[in-house]
Amino acid sequence: MTRSTDPKESRTRREGTHLLVRAGEHTCALPLAAVRRVVRSLTVHPLPGAAGELEGLAEFGGEPLPVLNLARLVNASPGANPSYPVTVVVRVGPAGSQEMLGLAADAALEVVHVPPDSIVAGEGGFLQGEAPLGGEVVRILNLEALGS
Amino acid sequence: MSAPHAPGFLLMRRAGGLWGIANGAVEGLARDGAGYRIQAGGAALAADEILGVVTDLRVVPAAPALRRFWPEEPAGVAVHAGVPLVVVDPRRLPAALRCEIPRCDAGEDEEQGHE
Repeated sequence: MTRSTDPKESRTRREGTHLLVRAGEHTCALPLAAVRRVVRSLTVHPLPGAAGELEGLAEFGGEPLPVLNLARLVNASPGANPSYPVTVVVRVGPAGSQEMLGLAADAALEVVHVPPDSIVAGEGGFLQGEAPLGGEVVRILNLEALGS
Repeated sequence: MSAPHAPGFLLMRRAGGLWGIANGAVEGLARDGAGYRIQAGGAALAADEILGVVTDLRVVPAAPALRRFWPEEPAGVAVHAGVPLVVVDPRRLPAALRCEIPRCDAGEDEEQGHE
């Protein structure tokens, strides 16, 4: 097997690598470079008056971590009760002012490559677009936009 | 329990969550029915339970993603004994902590613990 040594191709491949997670009825793709950890669903302490997308605050590594409900973020209908819900700890926001955030999801599925040219641009912001993958349409998330 | 200008943070429970306020901002503390009333920054806060004062709280600013989905403006967030908490700004009290009128104006409370 021959590996490409072209730096541009290598960078493109790295940027196209995503973690697939289940969020209600949707499958979402998170840029793998932004994923710090996947842990069993963290205990979350709700914040009174918060929008539905914000589940609350959790503790992670001795630090406070805001946790968002991924299904609510992508307007997905709730799925069946997940058997192994997870919190995906990600870095969000533009380079230079990134922050840690937890995304509550129903399950972590697999790591895949999403070719950039297969992505149909979305409405902008947090939802980068959609791409066909393995017989279903996957929502590609732009985590940089989430923290800004 | 709380002393003006003393270092640290007064920790309390309210609305199912853990909250903190700079001890130096606390002007008074009194029983209020089953809970407590705290005077701070010229306003009154309600607490269900007072946990005490801690001095080793590392407070960090609330992240933009938090502010985006929560309309309150806290002084910061922190973790105490493995539990996350919100440190309030006495000038901008979260709605969940504001005393309910007339409960906090009852004036029948026993002042205590402000040494």
